[in-house]
Amino acid sequence: MTADKEKRRAISREAARRRRRVESEVFEDLSRLLPLPPSVQAHLDKPSVIRLTLSYIRMHTLLKGEAWTKAQARHRVKCGRVMNGGEEPREHDGGREEEEEEEKETEEMEASEETNLYLRILEGFLIVLSTEGDMIYLSENVSKYMGLTQNELMGHNIFEFTHPCDHEEIRNSLLLTPEDVWYGAKRDLVLRIKSALTPRGRSTNLKSATWKVLHCQGRVKVCVAPSSVSCLLLTCQPLPLSHTLLSTHTFTSQHSMDMRFTYSDQRITLLLGFSTEELLGRSIYDLCHAMDINHLTKNHLNLCFKSQSVSGQYRMLVRSGGYVWVETHSAVIPGCRPSKSRPDANQPLCILCVTYVLSGVEEPSLQLSVDQIVHI
Amino acid sequence: MHWSPGPLRSGGSAPAMSVWNTAASGGDRSGDDPAEEVMVKEHQSVSLPGAMASSSAVGMTASMEIPRKRKGCMDNQDTKSVSMDMDMEDMEDEQNGSDEDENRHLKMKCFREPHSQIEKRRRDKMNTLIDKLSAMIPSCNPLSRKVDKLTVLRMAVQHLKSLKGSSSSFSEASYKPSFLPNEELKHLVLKAADGFLFVVGCDRGKIVFVSESVTKILNYSRVELIGQSLFDYIHPKDMEKVKEQLSASELYPRERLIDAKTGLQVQADLPVGAARLCSGARRSFFCRMKYNKISIKVEEKEFQASTSKKKESQKYCTVHCTGYMRSWPTSQLGAEGEEPDKQDSSHFSCLVAMGRVHSHSSPPVNGEVHVKPTEFFTRCAMDGKFTFVDQRATTVLGYLPQELLGTSCYEYFHQDDLPHLAERHRKVLRSKDKIETNCYKFKTKYGSFVTLQSQWFSFVNPWTKEVEYIVSTNTVITPTSRSGNKSEQSSNYKTSQEDVNKSLPVIPGSSTTPGAMIYAGSIGTQIANELLDYNRMNSSPSSGSVSPFSLPHDKCPQTPNQTSNNMPNGEAAGLVIPGKSSSADELKGAAFSGAESVMEENSQLDLDSVVGPGLSSLGNDEAAMAVYMSLLETDTNAGDSVDFEEMHWSL
Repeated sequence: MTADKEKRRAISREAARRRRRVESEVFEDLSRLLPLPPSVQAHLDKPSVIRLTLSYIRMHTLLKGEAWTKAQARHRVKCGRVMNGGEEPREHDGGREEEEEEEKETEEMEASEETNLYLRILEGFLIVLSTEGDMIYLSENVSKYMGLTQNELMGHNIFEFTHPCDHEEIRNSLLLTPEDVWYGAKRDLVLRIKSALTPRGRSTNLKSATWKVLHCQGRVKVCVAPSSVSCLLLTCQPLPLSHTLLSTHTFTSQHSMDMRFTYSDQRITLLLGFSTEELLGRSIYDLCHAMDINHLTKNHLNLCFKSQSVSGQYRMLVRSGGYVWVETHSAVIPGCRPSKSRPDANQPLCILCVTYVLSGVEEPSLQLSVDQIVHI
Repeated sequence: MHWSPGPLRSGGSAPAMSVWNTAASGGDRSGDDPAEEVMVKEHQSVSLPGAMASSSAVGMTASMEIPRKRKGCMDNQDTKSVSMDMDMEDMEDEQNGSDEDENRHLKMKCFREPHSQIEKRRRDKMNTLIDKLSAMIPSCNPLSRKVDKLTVLRMAVQHLKSLKGSSSSFSEASYKPSFLPNEELKHLVLKAADGFLFVVGCDRGKIVFVSESVTKILNYSRVELIGQSLFDYIHPKDMEKVKEQLSASELYPRERLIDAKTGLQVQADLPVGAARLCSGARRSFFCRMKYNKISIKVEEKEFQASTSKKKESQKYCTVHCTGYMRSWPTSQLGAEGEEPDKQDSSHFSCLVAMGRVHSHSSPPVNGEVHVKPTEFFTRCAMDGKFTFVDQRATTVLGYLPQELLGTSCYEYFHQDDLPHLAERHRKVLRSKDKIETNCYKFKTKYGSFVTLQSQWFSFVNPWTKEVEYIVSTNTVITPTSRSGNKSEQSSNYKTSQEDVNKSLPVIPGSSTTPGAMIYAGSIGTQIANELLDYNRMNSSPSSGSVSPFSLPHDKCPQTPNQTSNNMPNGEAAGLVIPGKSSSADELKGAAFSGAESVMEENSQLDLDSVVGPGLSSLGNDEAAMAVYMSLLETDTNAGDSVDFEEMHWSL
């Protein structure tokens, strides 16, 4: 009885073992087919193999009929050239092939360098999101920003790596209406994403990850046939406030958390006509065009909750009349600059704004706000 | 700030489970797959501790961060909570094998989650992945029955092989394997960025290179642009700006940089001249660029009617340029390279940048939001004094904005409408919703009356939660459109009349004698004062110094007892203010649902999720500060760690 049981158990164990072996072999096959360096391939676990395979297939589907085939055509042209070469005298053949190979290699290298340049200039990484939020693709430089490699992230869901409070916003961005798809609607949001980078730029593991604020912009992309994949193409960039040459058409200001001016640089007088003293204690909401309030409110909320924001374009009133189009990049920074007007300065947080003036003064003869009326 | 990942630890808590379930939706299938079950179990029994750890790491992968974590457990979590499914972790585990056992011991103490749960999650995840995979493989689709795992995998292998076959040039022969062909990645970057790459020589602004995508954006072909001066395509008024950005010389010695940590402007003490450019100095600026009008004939026609000035500005769109300065020793430039500046510099400097068209809205120059000509915006102080008047008001009312500014809107209302509008005014100050007025008569400059209908909302500062002013969208009602919804309006009017009757005695300016206009403005003042009184009586309003982070906290669904506290306040206020009993509902609305309308998603944020429960016992300011400190700390540092020198670019 027990022996029989034992035997049956042994059989099933053996069967299971065989089954696992077969499965592992398939997994190995699969991982070998992935466009990854062999060192990485060898160490992928099973879910990762599927995850990356899925990403690869999705990207392929997504790009079908686009540059993928374009590049293929180019390749074919080259192949054709090689073949044409074949009609030439034989003795030249070998050398030519080698040449081609070499040429291809350098071309490839250049292409990759150029691509890197694109990403470098972007100062961010590229992310392709499925409508469920799966990160179908991330550019390799993601590791610089998140401290996690492309392979570790690709195929995972973005919700696992973003701040819970931003999920609703992400979800809304992922909702694609037919019009969105048709027009390739744009998306623009500020997200907090997990970053395993230490302050020194080295990456640690996720346990000590921090939130990194990223400005994600992009558009909806759709691919129809055969199995349609709709996705979001987003560029994710940290908001740069530092180390930018500020032009003459840029001013900086500091605000209390309710957006009242606590400081502004002299240039604001040149650009908007308001004296720096005049602005102290004034709300930025008094200075903007009434139609842009929602815009600014969103910006403000981003600042309150995510600590950084990009305003997008809005109109700021000019003292003498009319308005200019501006865009403000802002961040919450700890501690206010102690100033004579606010010696206490016990407000622990303050908003730093860099405002770019985008246009000349429009409708300069118009007085739209009480602030623009000259008091005699 | 530390957050703790890993459902292994927090998995025991209810929210974690629910999150998991949503993450692995459809994963239930494993339950009716006994073969699978056996296999996995066997797998477990055979595997070494290291392997076990790896499988649990797998379980963690799909986990989301759980807002509420248990402080007590955090210390124990630290030793191993990497939620990646890469082999690195496995190796790490094996290395500290003995540590590992100890940890697991501690873990068990903290989380009494049954092992079967962890296993189930792992299986669920695997199954979800397999399901997704099978959906993507064409050969799996026609099969109506559920395909087993192994078949899916085999088909995946076949599919991958066929894919690679069709695009062999990338995957096999490329000198470095990558998921995307370079060409394609570049294309995607530009597409996502909605931009174009360009390289401009610093000395003369000559366009050295521009990517193909410029055609889509500026409607100039690449060939047209290369070799031209960038300045030919820049708005005349932005020339100076762009020159400044390209400038390598000391023409603009006061290079202003900003220190993100302190927020102070620092005078650049970088070495001047070429060195500054070599270093890959970052540039970020906006300029207006010309775009080719040919393709936008429709728009052009439209603008024929408008002023010539507008037509002129129509040709430009705002482009955000970000990039770096780059320079090469001239010796390295080939014969076909750009001829260097012979006399002074031994370097050819240029700006390598990405131009992105503004994605937020249409370019400012034609960014006039399409509003009906019969509509205009006004902004009033709480007491009803105009502080902002849209220029379109002039066509409707005859007044120039400056004639209205500073005066009270009540001065222009027809007497018959005063009670109604006063009531609405009260309402809007206490509600976060948009409030519609009935049709009312507004006195124009010429003494006649124009019928308007307005939508009012009080603009509440997101931080202080205090009303800053009232924004009003006013629509001119023509007699025809008015008759359409007359019945509704009249009934509205009746009810509001009743309200008003109660409050009538309170309003000093509502006497019907002509010439009372001078007092009209005081109605608004009166109403504003009422609100101030109301605020004074209400103990809760936030003064400027109070961090609003306490508010979302209070509103958090987990603390219903707190929200109920607000109700007596609202009702009390309703009783104290004469004639206000009808608005008790609004008060409640303001305190609860109404307040959420602006903040909707964000009010979900509770401090714990960011700071952890330990910190919420601190003052709110401190807690908020802690959030920011941690956020800023990481971000600025990481942002600066870009290595400029790695930048390569071939001409």
